[in-house]
Amino acid sequence: MFLTIFCWVALICFFGASFYKAYKFAKMPMHGRQDLYPIPLETNERMHYGGSYYEDDKWYEKPRHHNLKGEIIDMLAEMLFIKKLFIHQNSLWWISYALHLGIYAALGWTVLLFIGAFVGPASVFGSIIYLLTIVAGIMAGVLMTVGAIGLILKRLIKPEFKNYTTPQEYFNLFFLLCVSASGLLVWLGDKSFEYGRNITRAMLGIKSFAESYPEGMPIILIVHILLLGAVMIYIPFTKMSHYVGKYFTFHKVIWDNEPNLPGSKIESEIIKQSKDPKPSNQWSAPHYQPQPASEEAVQK
Amino acid sequence: MINGKDLKPRDISTIGGQLTKIELMPLPAPFDKPGMAPELKEAKPEWAEKYCAELDGIIAIDTFETPKTKEEQDALVQKFLRGVEKMLSEETNKGIIQALNLSMEYCAKCNTCSEACHIFQATNHNELYRPTYRAEVLRMIVKKYFDKNGKLIPGGKKGVMVKFIGGDIDLNWETVARLGELSYRCNLCRRCAQVCPLALDNSYFAKEVRKIFSQEMGLAPKPLHDKGSQLQLKTGSSTGVTKAAFLDTIEFLDDDCEDLMGTRYVTPIDKEGADILLIHNAGEFMAWPENPTAFNILFNEAGLDWTLSSDLMGYDNVNYGIWYDDLQAKKVAIAQNEAAKKLGVKRIVIAECGHAHKAAAVVADRFYPGSDRVPVQSFLPLLRDLIMAGKFDLDPSRNDFPVVLHDPCNVVRQMGIVKPQRDILKAVMKDSKYYEMKDHGVNNYCCGGGSGFAIMSAMNFASYRDNVASRMKLKQILEAWGEDVVLSEGPKYICAPCSNCKGAMREIIHNYGLSRYNIHYGGLVELVVNAMTKFDTPYMEFLRDE
Ligand code: SF4
Ligand code: SF4
Repeated sequence: MFLTIFCWVALICFFGASFYKAYKFAKMPMHGRQDLYPIPLETNERMHYGGSYYEDDKWYEKPRHHNLKGEIIDMLAEMLFIKKLFIHQNSLWWISYALHLGIYAALGWTVLLFIGAFVGPASVFGSIIYLLTIVAGIMAGVLMTVGAIGLILKRLIKPEFKNYTTPQEYFNLFFLLCVSASGLLVWLGDKSFEYGRNITRAMLGIKSFAESYPEGMPIILIVHILLLGAVMIYIPFTKMSHYVGKYFTFHKVIWDNEPNLPGSKIESEIIKQSKDPKPSNQWSAPHYQPQPASEEAVQK
Repeated sequence: MINGKDLKPRDISTIGGQLTKIELMPLPAPFDKPGMAPELKEAKPEWAEKYCAELDGIIAIDTFETPKTKEEQDALVQKFLRGVEKMLSEETNKGIIQALNLSMEYCAKCNTCSEACHIFQATNHNELYRPTYRAEVLRMIVKKYFDKNGKLIPGGKKGVMVKFIGGDIDLNWETVARLGELSYRCNLCRRCAQVCPLALDNSYFAKEVRKIFSQEMGLAPKPLHDKGSQLQLKTGSSTGVTKAAFLDTIEFLDDDCEDLMGTRYVTPIDKEGADILLIHNAGEFMAWPENPTAFNILFNEAGLDWTLSSDLMGYDNVNYGIWYDDLQAKKVAIAQNEAAKKLGVKRIVIAECGHAHKAAAVVADRFYPGSDRVPVQSFLPLLRDLIMAGKFDLDPSRNDFPVVLHDPCNVVRQMGIVKPQRDILKAVMKDSKYYEMKDHGVNNYCCGGGSGFAIMSAMNFASYRDNVASRMKLKQILEAWGEDVVLSEGPKYICAPCSNCKGAMREIIHNYGLSRYNIHYGGLVELVVNAMTKFDTPYMEFLRDE
């Protein structure tokens, strides 16, 4: 029972804390523009060489173009493939991508397990799910283990990584490694990931752990479940939650080139923000202090 | 002194002495032979005694006298920490807080940004100039001295946990002083941010430290503040040129143009209700008068309804505040907009100045409601359209010399104007004479003059700019042309459509003695006028001398 509740708590914590983090970033005040080109929202031609609406004479009279397709393609390439790392630092990409692909496979594995909890392997659909679960599970375990070991070694060996890596950052990688390695150990004795289905069945109240393991659960399985749950609770509170940050850094920072035109949403936001009270903790340099009237007049 | 390859972020707190020494990246031919490239200038002992040479022996902040007594040193640290607290405050630092927090929190320390930085490359990979170095130092300070809400914890956190999360730093006056100097080793070009897989921006950290120094501690290089934005707010221009002097200059330029080209073009001034208010970087009138004159010729020939303004803040488009101080940036931008509103013009067109493009069009965009704003645009699409519409009779064979185009970071990477300048060049010269640098357009490298460096020359800072910050640009220029073209007899032209970039090019040419290879520099509009069949005289001086 404890493990079942723990799994639910981990899942809720992971999503809840991640959403809360996103909410905190979202409610921060609108910042000054930080456009950095190329921006995929621009027209197909322009997004390739990094052009923008500023390439038009009287740009403010022209209709704005939002290239949703370009944005989605670029976003997916970055999310699913880590495109920038692939282009600019290919040697690191192989290791980093192994870890990330392993995590994606683990997410896919979890979804497949929930589906598999309802459909047994008897039907065609069920057997496909059954097979995919095994493939995703093995991929997750192997790729995460390889990626985490690779990144730990790279950070330990290469001074340009080592000198900037904090103990917590090693710990984060080590934590992920423990989860994937313990998962692989469990899998050695349970090649079809039945334990995963047992967890989801228990979580959904279909069949308790006790019923699934009448002779008691293997210790390594308990350790694995505890580690997996703990890492899910831990991730949103660390910079491993960059899946949240990345949305904002791209969409709300470097791709946000929405101009402040009369009547626009940006203009309303500026008007709203201009009504905010003056900061209580203002900067202290002399030119931030109230100016003598004569000088202020000049400045106006 | 610590070898640049072994330097760790924590070492910035090393007590006393210069932290590291700069080694320079080798250059291509003809600067690959010993003695061909100049060396960095060391700080004179009397400078180092007074100012902060404790970082790398270079001094940028000519208003910052290092503290000598224990009280002064402690006061400096406390002031800095109060500044960091304001930097972290959502209320006080509203204009950047979301973007800054993201970059503060999420760096994966993957180092993808490092190779993109021309400073890191020019210093032969000295750790001090790795884009993440100053970011990491600031991160360590924040982790140690601030709680999760950004509130200052006097004396900082203690215990193993703070080391575990990466707050392993002892803040002393040397750290503060060195960080201040280090913030002026970055051109704020944002090339590092462009390659970051997480879209984080290390230039924020350099800029935020500059802001803390200026906004909290009242310390900024004189050319940016006292003789820059402050002077501009008082006299109308950072050049100190007053309205009367400006009017005289324009008259003189119109006369000069008539003498040279045989046609009189009158520069319209303060024409109310004009379609276009053209604003130049006022430095052009003094240093490169052929540039505003070329605009005058082109706009008059095209029959545009345009004007210059002689109003205080209406004749100088510079805005140095965007490099170091939010309030100064805002004051200048608002005043420039007011000058345009007063004239009742329909739009502001920014002439050849990259940072002014970004300041007026992008940075100022969210300073006040859009309905109060006179629309701002670049001269580039306007000129491109005029050329494409056949407004000028052009003969591309008149620009019969190798031209390499330099892209100003603010115009390309930070504003997305890439194609119009290329369309213009292709219309005014033969393809065979037009050269692109290997990394160009949005992938360009900074000229080395970015973020104020072009106008900062106190003590030995010019030596850093020319030998370090501009080194990659020189390499790019030499490689774009290749040794044969560089060593060929005829003139060669670096086209830099930006006043600050031109300032940097002038210093590159001077520092490396490029005149001996008949290498010249200038803007874009000069090439357009030079291609006009209407004139018999070549427009550029170096062509007339031939
Ligand atoms: S590329 Fe981005 S994530 Fe990687 S070290 Fe640089 S700033 Fe950090
Ligand atoms: S902004 Fe430019 S100069 Fe500064 S660290 Fe990044 S790449 Fe280097």
